Amino acid sequence: MRLRFIWQILPSFLFIILLTLVLLTWLFSRALSNFYLEQTSAGLETRASLVAFQVADSFTTGDFEQLDALSILIGEETATRFTFILPSGVVLADTLEDPAQMDNHAGRPEVAKALKGDIGKSTRYSNTVHNNMMYVAIPVKNNNQLAGVVRAALPVTAIDLALDAVYRQIILSGILVLLLAAGVGIFISRRISRPLERMRLGAENFARGDLSKRLRVEGVQEISALATAMNAMAAELNEKLKTVVRQHNEQKAVLASMVEGVLAVDTNERIIRINRAAAALLEVSAEEVQGRSIQEAIRKADLQRFVSRALSTRDPVEGDIVLRGSEDLYLQAHGSLLRGESGQEFGALIVLNDVTRLRRLENIRRDFVANVSHELKTPITTIKGFIETLQDGAIQDHQSAVQFLEIMMRQADRLNEIIDDLLILARVEQNSDQDELPLENLPLNPVIETAMQACAKMAAEKQITIESYCPPGLTAHINAPLLEQAVVNLLTNAIKYSPEQGKVLIETTRSEKDITISVRDWGCGIDKVHLPRLFERFYRADKARSRKLGGTGLGLAIVKHIAQAHGGEVTVSSKPGQGSTFSLRLPAKPIRTP
Amino acid sequence: MPIYLQRQIDELKKQILALSAVVEETFHEAIRSLEHTDVSLADTVIARDHTVNEMEVDLEEECLKILALHQPVAIDLRFIVAVLKINNDLERISDISANIAQRTLGLATFNPIPIPFALFDMAEKVESMLKKSLDSLVNLDIELARDVCQLDDEVDAMHKENYSLVKNRIRQYPEQLDPLIEYLSVSRHLERVADLTTNIAEDILYMIDGEIIRHTY
Repeated sequence: MRLRFIWQILPSFLFIILLTLVLLTWLFSRALSNFYLEQTSAGLETRASLVAFQVADSFTTGDFEQLDALSILIGEETATRFTFILPSGVVLADTLEDPAQMDNHAGRPEVAKALKGDIGKSTRYSNTVHNNMMYVAIPVKNNNQLAGVVRAALPVTAIDLALDAVYRQIILSGILVLLLAAGVGIFISRRISRPLERMRLGAENFARGDLSKRLRVEGVQEISALATAMNAMAAELNEKLKTVVRQHNEQKAVLASMVEGVLAVDTNERIIRINRAAAALLEVSAEEVQGRSIQEAIRKADLQRFVSRALSTRDPVEGDIVLRGSEDLYLQAHGSLLRGESGQEFGALIVLNDVTRLRRLENIRRDFVANVSHELKTPITTIKGFIETLQDGAIQDHQSAVQFLEIMMRQADRLNEIIDDLLILARVEQNSDQDELPLENLPLNPVIETAMQACAKMAAEKQITIESYCPPGLTAHINAPLLEQAVVNLLTNAIKYSPEQGKVLIETTRSEKDITISVRDWGCGIDKVHLPRLFERFYRADKARSRKLGGTGLGLAIVKHIAQAHGGEVTVSSKPGQGSTFSLRLPAKPIRTP
Repeated sequence: MPIYLQRQIDELKKQILALSAVVEETFHEAIRSLEHTDVSLADTVIARDHTVNEMEVDLEEECLKILALHQPVAIDLRFIVAVLKINNDLERISDISANIAQRTLGLATFNPIPIPFALFDMAEKVESMLKKSLDSLVNLDIELARDVCQLDDEVDAMHKENYSLVKNRIRQYPEQLDPLIEYLSVSRHLERVADLTTNIAEDILYMIDGEIIRHTY
C-alpha cells in the first residue's frame, strides 16, 4: 500500500524533533548538574576553609568541648554538616552525630586525601544521614603541622530536585513543541499535496481525452511549474491529435472519393478498409464488412483468390475478376503488399477498376461489325448468285429467269431498306448531336393516327386490331415525322410478333414529368437475356426468325435514337409467352426552347 | 490450447466460406451457360468441379484433424459437424452444376425449342435459396435458414408441375423428345439443389440451436 504524503513526512518530522529534544535535555541536564556540583563543592570548600581557619587553634589546644559546640552552631547556621577529625581519624565533633558513636574516619576517601595535605572530595551515600552526600575535606594546619581535618558535607538531593523540575519543564515544552510541529507538518503536507491531488484529477481528465480543460497553476514554485508543463503538454497533445484526426479524415476523403474501388486486407485476409466505390462494386456495406474476413464478407470466388494471390506474392499482381450477378461485372484488379515503416508486411492493397462498360462497348463494336457485314453480305451474295446462274444460261429459261429476277428484286429492296434505315439513323444521330432537330409543340393524337394508318395494311393481313387510347388535346414538343417513324417501327414489330387475330394496344399517358407512349402486344415475348441489348444496331433476339419476318435489324435502334433526340428514352418490359411492352417516354417540358 | 483451437476453427470457417463462394459461382455459371447456350462456359463449369472436389477433401481432412487433436465440445463440436455436412452438400451442388452444364452441352446439339416451363424463374428461386442459406452460414442467421426450408416446398411444387408440362409437350411434339428430356433433367437437378440448400439451412439451424430439425419441415 502506498502511504499518503502526510504519513511520509510527519513521522520523520516528529522523530527529528524528539531526537533533538532528548539530546538537548541530556546535554543541558549534564551541564546543569556539573555546574551545580562544582558550585556546591566550591561552596563547601570555602566554608570548610573558613571553619578550619577558626578551629585551627582549638585542634592544637585540644578544646574539644568548644569544637563540638562550634560544629553544631556553624552547622545550623549554614545548613551544612561539619565534622572535625583528628589526624588519627578519630572524630572530634559532628554537627549531626555524637562523635563518640562514630567510627574512625581515616579510611574515608576525602579524609584520606586531606590527611595527605590535599583537598579531598567525594560524593557517596552516608549511612549516618541515609542520603547522598557531597563531602569536602580540607586539612587544618597549625605552624605547618597537620592538626586535623575539617569536613563539610551537603546532601546532593537538592540537585536531583532541581534537575527534576528542569526535566518536567523540558518534557512539557517538548510535548507542546511536538503538537505544534505535527500541526505545522499537517498544514505543510496539505499545502503540498492538495495541488498534487488536483493535478492528478486533471491528468486523469487528459488521459480520458478531454484535452480542452487546463490545470490551475498554484502552490509552490515546483508544483506550479509542473502544472504549467502539464498544460503545455495537453495543448501540444491536443494540437497533435487534431492534426492526426485531420490527416485521417483527409485520407479517408481521398480514398472515399476515388472512382476506383480500394480494398485493404491484413495478413489474415481481414478487411482493414474498403472505400465507397469498392463497397458499391462488391454490393456490400462498408461498415458491415470492416474487420471481417474476406471470405465471410464478400462471397466472390475470383476476388478471394486474387486476395490470396496478392498476399502470397512479393511483387504487385494484376488480374481480371468477373463478379457474377444479375449482370456480370468485369473488374481489372491490381494488388500489392502493404509494408509498414520497418518493411514488414501487414497486408495487401487491392485496387479494382470497373471495366464492364469497356467490355460491353467492345462487344457491341465487335458484334456490330459482324452483324453489319452479315446483313449486307446476305442480299449481295444472293443477288450475285442468281446473276451468275443467269449468266450461266438460266436467262434462256424464261420462267426461272423471271422468278430469279423477282428474288433479286426482293433482295435489292432489302438492301435498299437497310441503307434507308442507316440513313435515317445517321440523320437522327447527326441532328440530335448538333441539337438542331426542329421540335414543335404539336398534338400527339394525329401523329399516332398516321402511324396506325401506315401499318393498317400489314395489320389487316394478319387480322390484327390496333387500339389506341390517347387523351385528346395532349401535346408535346416533338418532331412529327420522326416520332411517327418511331411509332411505326414499334407497331410493325408488335404486329410481326403477334399471333393472327391478335391485338395491339397503344396507350398514351401523361404524368408530372413525362409523356409515355407505350405499344403493347400479346405475342411471343422476348427472353430477358436479350433485353439489355435489344436497342443495339443489328441486334437480333432470334436470328433465324426475325430475318424470316423481314426487317433490317435497325428499327429499334432508330426508335432509340429518335427518343434520345427528343430528350426522352425507350424502355421495354417483356415476358416470354406473354408479350412485350415498349414504352417511349418524352419529357413533358421542352428540353430546349425552339 | 483453446486459442489454438479457435484459430483452427476460424481457418475452417474461412475454408468453408471460400468453398461456398466457388460453389455459388459455379451454380450461377451453370445456369448462365444454359441461358445463353454458352458451350465454353459450360466447359469451364465442368472443369471447375475438379477444384471443388479437391477443396472438399481438404476441408474434410481439416475437420477430422481438429476433431482428433482437440476433441472439441458444445458449439465447437456442432460447428465442425455442421461444416462436415455442409461441405458434403456443397460438393454435391457443384456436381449437379456440372450436370446442368452437361445438359447445356446436350441441348447445344439440338435445334433450339421453346422451353416447356419457366425454367429460369425456377433457377432464380433456387439460386436465391442457395444465396440465403450461405448468407445464413456467414451471419449465423436463424431467420434466413428457416426461410430456405420454407422455399423448398415451392420448388418441389414447381418441379412436379414441370413434369406434367413436359409430358404434355412430348405428346404434342414427339419429335422434340430429346431436348425435352434434357429440360426435364434440368428441372430435376434444380429440385435436387433446392433440397441440398435446405440441408445446409438445417445444418446451420442445428449448429446454432443444437437441435436436429431434419424431416420436420
